[in-house]
Amino acid sequence: MEDESHNNILPNGFNTGSTESPCLKTSTMTTQHNNNNNHQNHSNKEQDRFLPIANVGRIMKKVIPPNGKISKDAKETVQECVSEFISFVTGEASDKCQREKRKTINGDDVIWAITTLGFEDYVEPLKTYLQKYKEIEGEKLNIPKQLRSEQRLHQHQQNHNNNHDENNNQPFNGAYASSNLISQPPYVPTDQKFSLPFSPNSIQNQLRQQEQIDSVGHWYE
Amino acid sequence: METNNQQQQQQGAQAQSGPYPVAGAGGSAGAGAGAPPPFQHLLQQQQQQLQMFWSYQRQEIEHVNDFKNHQLPLARIKKIMKADEDVRMISAEAPILFAKACELFILELTIRSWLHAEENKRRTLQKNDIAAAITRTDIFDFLVDIVPRDEIKDDAALVGATASGVPYYYPPIGQPAGMMIGRPAVDPATGVYVQPPSQAWQSVWQSAAEDASYGTGGAGAQRSLDGQS
Repeated sequence: MEDESHNNILPNGFNTGSTESPCLKTSTMTTQHNNNNNHQNHSNKEQDRFLPIANVGRIMKKVIPPNGKISKDAKETVQECVSEFISFVTGEASDKCQREKRKTINGDDVIWAITTLGFEDYVEPLKTYLQKYKEIEGEKLNIPKQLRSEQRLHQHQQNHNNNHDENNNQPFNGAYASSNLISQPPYVPTDQKFSLPFSPNSIQNQLRQQEQIDSVGHWYE
Repeated sequence: METNNQQQQQQGAQAQSGPYPVAGAGGSAGAGAGAPPPFQHLLQQQQQQLQMFWSYQRQEIEHVNDFKNHQLPLARIKKIMKADEDVRMISAEAPILFAKACELFILELTIRSWLHAEENKRRTLQKNDIAAAITRTDIFDFLVDIVPRDEIKDDAALVGATASGVPYYYPPIGQPAGMMIGRPAVDPATGVYVQPPSQAWQSVWQSAAEDASYGTGGAGAQRSLDGQS
């Protein structure tokens, strides 16, 4: 009986993994498609050229006396000014990146541009702000975004994940999601089985993951 | 009630500033050239308020510990950045940094605009106040095209009224406090007028601190402000 259960675990685990991976990929593609649609729709909206007027108005109220008022056209004018400020600074930062043959605008480029454009009073506060951001957020950024929201439930997975390099990131995520699904009510695969090309490393990774699932004991139930 | 009292005191101080002689050769020359005392007083007041504003910002940022609750939406900032076709990739920290930079920008622009509204005895900030702040501040030159001609024209009239005084005072507004031209002339005046503006703006800072989402930062700022006064 033990031999039979052992044999059953391996084929079932493999099939389940292979069945779920394409589902995840399809879901990801669907998400990307939706994002593309949203992006196209938003790029046509006038509102998206400015920051929300409510946010702008709220900030403006911080520095006027309590009995002072702000007309709507004043808020709208500041909305336009802020967008112009963003474009002005971004353009300067982008030029610098191009001269230095870099593709990504980072925080230091933004601060450099602000300095160059004469906003000297802004430099010290922003340098402090960026430094604190790097101190506080730097550690979190090392954790993949998908796992961040599940830190508490899968604390033990962090160390394991850190051992993987980026090449194995995609299959690992698939397997990880599989583990997540198993913890939910009984999952019955209804999709037709797929055969996917896996690299040897990827397959070994899958098998290793299945072993962990086995150790958790879900498959014995 | 305290705020109203402080404002009344401030108004009283403004009224009293009329007959006061202006100390310092530079200041005297400027006043003699035609700048009315109330206008000069407001300019000095503006410098003090902006100095307090930047000092407050430095203290507030020292206490920040949450980078998720932004005053401005990061996705929208990123979209505005990407409107430039030359912009390819943006690191995660850039929009977050811009959220703070834009907040500082809005605050500075609003302070400078509000002072123009005060000069015109108004309690409602209007578009021409924004236009006036833009034309008076060097670092806001890139915004000149944002405001229509008629708004600028309105401000030009005001500038014309005090043309002889304006050239002398523009540079100090745009320069760092430490390198302010006419500094010696300002010191005595600052000594005279330090309390009313300080009291008025303290209530604003405390209000802002209460509005801020960082409770610790607010407390720290309040202590700092109390320490200053």
